[in-house]
Amino acid sequence: MGLFDKLAGWLGLKKKEVNVLCLGLDNSGKTTIINKLKPSNAQTQDIVPTIGFNIEKFKTSSLSFTVFDMSGQGRYRNLWEHYYKEGQAIIFVIDSADKLRMVVAKEELDTLLNHPDVKHRRVPILFFANKMDVREALSSVKVSQLLCLENIKDKPWHICASDALRGEGLPEGVDWLQGRVVNSIVLKSKSIVSLH
Amino acid sequence: MSSGTEMNAESSKWLDAHYDPVANLYTFSSCIDLADLNGDGENRLVIGDLGTGSSNMKLKVYRGTALMNESTLLDLPTGLVSFLMDLHEPRIPAIAVASGPFIYVYKNLRPYFKFTLPSLEINALEQDVWQQAREGQIDPLALKELLEGIRDTADVPLSVRSLRYLGLETQDMEEFVSLHKQQPIRRQTVITCIGTLKKSSADEDGVSCLVIGTESNDVYILDPEAFTILSKLSLPSAPTMMDVTGQFDVEFRITVACRNGNIYILRRESSKPKYCIELSSHPVGLVRVGKNVVVGCAEERLYGFTQKGKKLWTAQLPAPITTMATMDLPTRGFQAVLVGLANCEVHLYRDKNLVSTIKSPDVVTGLRFGRYGREDGALVMTTKGGGLAVKILKRTAAFDERDAAPGPPPAQSVRLNVPKKTKLYVDQTLREREHATAMHRAFQMDLSRVRLAAAQAYVRALEASLTPMSANPAAPLKLNAVVQGLGPAFKLTLNVQNTAASRPILNLTVSFLYDGGLYSMRTPYFRIPLLVPGLVYPFETLVECTSDKGISDVIKVFVLHDGKTAPLLTAHINMPVSEGLALE
Ligand SMILES: Nc1nc2c(ncn2[C@@H]2O[C@H](COP(=O)(O)OP(=O)(O)OP(=O)(O)O)[C@@H](O)[C@H]2O)c(=O)[nH]1
Ligand SMILES: [Mg+2]
Repeated sequence: MGLFDKLAGWLGLKKKEVNVLCLGLDNSGKTTIINKLKPSNAQTQDIVPTIGFNIEKFKTSSLSFTVFDMSGQGRYRNLWEHYYKEGQAIIFVIDSADKLRMVVAKEELDTLLNHPDVKHRRVPILFFANKMDVREALSSVKVSQLLCLENIKDKPWHICASDALRGEGLPEGVDWLQGRVVNSIVLKSKSIVSLH
Repeated sequence: MSSGTEMNAESSKWLDAHYDPVANLYTFSSCIDLADLNGDGENRLVIGDLGTGSSNMKLKVYRGTALMNESTLLDLPTGLVSFLMDLHEPRIPAIAVASGPFIYVYKNLRPYFKFTLPSLEINALEQDVWQQAREGQIDPLALKELLEGIRDTADVPLSVRSLRYLGLETQDMEEFVSLHKQQPIRRQTVITCIGTLKKSSADEDGVSCLVIGTESNDVYILDPEAFTILSKLSLPSAPTMMDVTGQFDVEFRITVACRNGNIYILRRESSKPKYCIELSSHPVGLVRVGKNVVVGCAEERLYGFTQKGKKLWTAQLPAPITTMATMDLPTRGFQAVLVGLANCEVHLYRDKNLVSTIKSPDVVTGLRFGRYGREDGALVMTTKGGGLAVKILKRTAAFDERDAAPGPPPAQSVRLNVPKKTKLYVDQTLREREHATAMHRAFQMDLSRVRLAAAQAYVRALEASLTPMSANPAAPLKLNAVVQGLGPAFKLTLNVQNTAASRPILNLTVSFLYDGGLYSMRTPYFRIPLLVPGLVYPFETLVECTSDKGISDVIKVFVLHDGKTAPLLTAHINMPVSEGLALE
């Protein structure tokens, strides 16, 4: 990709394509979140548990996201790692009302962070502490404590509480993600410029 | 929650999802179940809580880590199961709680139906006696005497009322009689265990019958909707634990552990047990793994049996068993047995192999493995101190096929390549099977003959003192002889040993008997000095063969005791043929 394309990207002439992995346990709300991020005419009404994975696209002001909406069911979780290489960013969704499986979410997150395709890359990770509308839901602070997010030192990460049904908290998260991705592109192209 | 190295091995398999040491639960495995009570794909934990053991009994429902619902039970629960009783949508299971002679059925967590066990036959004599008491024909003391008579002789046991009456003090009898005489006598049994049996379809969401074991040695199968008795099976003893498999309309199998320490296997076709497993100690846990039955016994052992009652294996446990449960994970094709132990551990056995050990802060008294919440591999444990713990099996957990407990090397269980049975072998086996008695007799006869011949030879040898060992207890001796040389001169060495523990032997002489025409001996007779116990004394003498015809003979050695005519020992020395030429 040439410098012109990049410039065009910054100027909003052509949007940069970014691959995002959407991970998290089954029933955490991944598909619901992705669905809410799509333009309202492309949204579906009934959301069913994902089998395998789906590929969805949505755009923000400066980026065009291609999202791998993975199934979170136990038997499909071993598919995740095959897509780690392609992922330029990760959205990790947690059902903050499912206290029982918080350990399982942590376990899957730890496995992800220790995977060779992820471990040494500065992939930005956005956490959604989803279902904050549910009465017994844990706060995003509590979720981040239970998942030991403070231990992630070598990757940019951010957590926001969200209610995917009403779309609350989603823009904040996506803004952050866009910022990190653009940032990394700028860093990369700076180094390209200095080479010239 | 990681302490010690053993914990680490286990933390690679189990995640600690929840632990509440003060959940205030008093329950056992038989009163714990997991069911999708709301039809939302999220299983709830249903517990029959025994309260204090006499009051405050509760039906508790947990969702995730929180207690969601609590309702009062009227009596102590003895068992709790969830089951689908009809085909109505949504397919939400009902809960059946057995307590006393009743089954309380809850639907949507609301009381729905109460089933009462049929009352038992009443002793006619007992009824007569109470009739007389009611009409005032007999006084309380006479009533007591008559009832005692019935109790000691009748086949049909007395009702609870009469038994209570017999335990009363004289001054309380009058009042008891006037209080109860108007009511009819009832004899009621109680439920000891409860299970479920699919009615006609083997599907996961098929309608199930309730199966109940009673103190009156019976097993009842109830219709899921009408709660009528579909079938009654009888046992030789009161059932205490039960496992049910199959379908009522097709084929089923009920494995029951009974209070007499035996396990009975009931089948559809007969109302009496089909197989019986006799155990050497009382069963304290009974679960089924696939087609096999695993029984935990009071003697700290685990046994595996086939569905026909044949013993497959035994495993020794480090502590008494508190409870048992099956661990069935169909998605991974994994089946094993969980055994709660009094040493605060839960062992996981796959056949006889210990594949995992879970440490608990308290003694585990209730175990249940299954889908909880949205997690298929959840293990619910309740503890003696009232705690509740939930562990989740890791997605990546792998169980070693090998036994974690020290034991014989795996080579020991490698099957040998036994060759095929030949026709000869089969014929021989058949012959042995048909003529077993005759063959046994012939063998015994020959054996007796051999023994007789041996005894006779021994007696002869003793009489002739032919043995190289002295049988005389006063002079226990051992003798052996060695001949050296090629001839015609031989050296004869006698090794004599006193085998007594401490006593020396005195006054012995040795004499040789030989053919004077063949041999000549320098000292055909000599005295033996005192023999100290244990030492071997070599005595040498020279023998010369005087014949040159190349023949040999026997030289007899006698060990003699002064003053006795019979020798103590006799030895025969087979002399070798003289090969050398005598120097002229
Ligand atoms: N109350 C509440 N419910 C939500 C929220 N987000 C999702 N749900 C519900 O949670 C359920 C599961 O949502 P999905 O989006 O299918 O979950 P998923 O993570 O894609 O699940 P899998 O595809 O099985 O991995 C649906 O019934 C959603 O309506 C939320 O923020 N609040
Ligand atoms: Mg989905």
